Amino acid sequence: MSIARAETRHAATWNFRLIGQHELNGFGGMGEGLSMQIAKDGRRILWAAHESAPKNFTAIDVSDPRNPKVVVQTDLPHRDMRSNSLETAGDIMAVAYQTKRADMQPAGFELFDISTPEAPRSIGFFDASGPYSRGVHQLWFCDGEYVHMAAGARDFQPHDMKDDQFYRIVDVRNPSKPEEVGRWWMPGQRVGDNAPKLERHREPIIDSGFRAHNTNVYPQRPDRCYLGYLDGGMFILDISDKSLPTVVSRWDNSPPYHGFTHTILPLFGRDLYVVTDESTVDNAEDWPKLVWIMDARDERNPVPIATCPMPPVAEFKNRGGRFGAHNLHENVPVPGCWQSENIILGTFFNGGLRAFDISDPYRPAEVGHFVPEAPRGSPMGSIQINDVFVDDRGVVFCVDRAIGGLYILEMEF
Amino acid sequence: MTDAAILAGVFPAGAAAGPFGRRQRRPRGARMPVILVTGFLGAGKTTLVKALLESEAGRDTAVVVNEFGEIGIDQALLAPAAEGKVALLGNGCLCCAVRSDLEETFRALLHDRARGAVPPFQRVVLELSGADDPMPVLQTFLGERSLAREYHVQAIIAVADAATGRAALRDAPEARRQIAIADRIVTSKADLAGAAETARLAAEIRAINPDAPLAEARLGMVDPDFLLAESSLPPPGPLQADAPRHAADLATFTLGFDRPLPWRGLTATLGLLCEMRGADLLRAKGLLAVEGCRGPVVVHAVRHLLHPPVELEAWPDPQRRCSRLVFITSGGLARAPVEALFRAVAALGPP
Repeated sequence: MSIARAETRHAATWNFRLIGQHELNGFGGMGEGLSMQIAKDGRRILWAAHESAPKNFTAIDVSDPRNPKVVVQTDLPHRDMRSNSLETAGDIMAVAYQTKRADMQPAGFELFDISTPEAPRSIGFFDASGPYSRGVHQLWFCDGEYVHMAAGARDFQPHDMKDDQFYRIVDVRNPSKPEEVGRWWMPGQRVGDNAPKLERHREPIIDSGFRAHNTNVYPQRPDRCYLGYLDGGMFILDISDKSLPTVVSRWDNSPPYHGFTHTILPLFGRDLYVVTDESTVDNAEDWPKLVWIMDARDERNPVPIATCPMPPVAEFKNRGGRFGAHNLHENVPVPGCWQSENIILGTFFNGGLRAFDISDPYRPAEVGHFVPEAPRGSPMGSIQINDVFVDDRGVVFCVDRAIGGLYILEMEF
Repeated sequence: MTDAAILAGVFPAGAAAGPFGRRQRRPRGARMPVILVTGFLGAGKTTLVKALLESEAGRDTAVVVNEFGEIGIDQALLAPAAEGKVALLGNGCLCCAVRSDLEETFRALLHDRARGAVPPFQRVVLELSGADDPMPVLQTFLGERSLAREYHVQAIIAVADAATGRAALRDAPEARRQIAIADRIVTSKADLAGAAETARLAAEIRAINPDAPLAEARLGMVDPDFLLAESSLPPPGPLQADAPRHAADLATFTLGFDRPLPWRGLTATLGLLCEMRGADLLRAKGLLAVEGCRGPVVVHAVRHLLHPPVELEAWPDPQRRCSRLVFITSGGLARAPVEALFRAVAALGPP
């Protein structure tokens, strides 16, 4: 027997079909905010946050996913800030603003009326600036009432400047006057805490900081926040009293891993959590950054039972840029969002977009991947897939972190 | 018991899953499609595969060739489409000695693909030699867990040449079997044999396999979509009459059911059939409406093996949700006793 085959190349697509792409007018470096609005006229508008200045956010009409059209693209007030994260709830959108350094403006989040997608109208601003704060890195907003976020605050002085952002809950029922209703941070993070200072990761383990990242809250468990806390690991918080969040459980894989715990996706119908750590160092120097499957039958004691299979690091680490886990499709509880408890989609920078079947959670199996060619003008010479969102038609939207813009796919598994 | 059922005791399957686990968009799920190309010696299989590789639709195809009796020739023919390493893994008749080779080759293909040693491919074409009986190959793909999890035999293509096809059908039981179990059939060399002979061959093929779509190769080529089409089930439409018992040792018949079938009764029946008459059950395949399932359930049996069922997300035609089960049998296993068995089990009612 003999094996015949085609030519060698890096791009690889398996069980995804690319049906559309948009370079977003040359500003295709995208962050980790992807949210879909079903507009009053029935159009599906994908709102996407940019990874860095000069652009703030871009809205794309993806009603026909084969023919995406930019509806609006906005600018940030200055270059020393980024938006990175956004969410929509109906016709209201919240956009996170994080400045390059502490004590700059505007640091917080802005609320927009997007009932006319072509003309987003600012209707409110929450200030999270301060002498030790860079503002808001990430936010969660899907009930139209509360923003849960990773943010600094004027009255919050961390022992280490890498620890500036913590979990804050803001009531935005009156969008013109958002009000903080609760907050939580790791005891020992803040100057003045009645707890010993946090023990930092030491060489050779990377010290990325103890701060909040994803702050997911779902209507199935409105009294829980699933909180990624970077070098602090993951926390499940009881937020039945929003003014006083308390810890239900914590799981921390680092050391020996390199921390940066990013997302906790609870699968309520399956008693599972899916947890990611973000790769933040080029050339896989923080490898392995994984997608973990956790047994969640007892939320007080989450148990890691598997990780999703990764492609060989040797194949990817020298392709340029980062390689490893990052964002997941998060089953955001809004109309227009795909809900999946057996298939997990995650982004892996130069490892592309990858899909896993976790029907058997002890043995996750890869069922598809999408690793496109390096986009035109890519500074690191490789794709850097950063975030993913799947709509309720099963159309997959993923974005490049550097320049490639938006890729639109169909799942074939 | 399926894996899904066992796990349900620990981790529920979730709202989106059916009794057989996650519903699939298509029968192959996420598995790698394999297209088996069978056919008589000299029928034009290699020409057909080569043309497929050179077509746009056939890009990203890996080819595995069994070289029984034709060492070097097929490899040389296919080589221009294949750059770099060509592994020679052995030769011989695939139906016996080389089955473990087949397994190793196909496992190695996926490993090499995962570690980047071979470029990404979207499907595998396995070209069998003319002397191969495709049945053991099919059984290997269905029966070996390591292969069945990763690969899905998407279609069996039989190539029959008009010049010598009728003689082969008359003299070689393997040739009849290749035609009988094929999902699609290509007739070749009509230019050599003439239209009349080609028509006679088509009639004989129809007598053995009344349902499989039939295409005529022109200059050794057919529309790539004919080879790559996903469904291995007969196209929807009125049921064909049972094949006349032209080939005394082979029969093809279709059972239809109007109402959703109870899964336990169905597996009991098919299980009994596989157990008692497996040697004569060349293939059973169908799309079934099963009680408690939203989508149709794909069943596939080869000889003694009943493949784990797959529930699809939706019916191909939502208006026609009736079960059809196609049987290809040998050794005198006819419609009447199979139908009687189904009826008897149905009459038993719920246990």
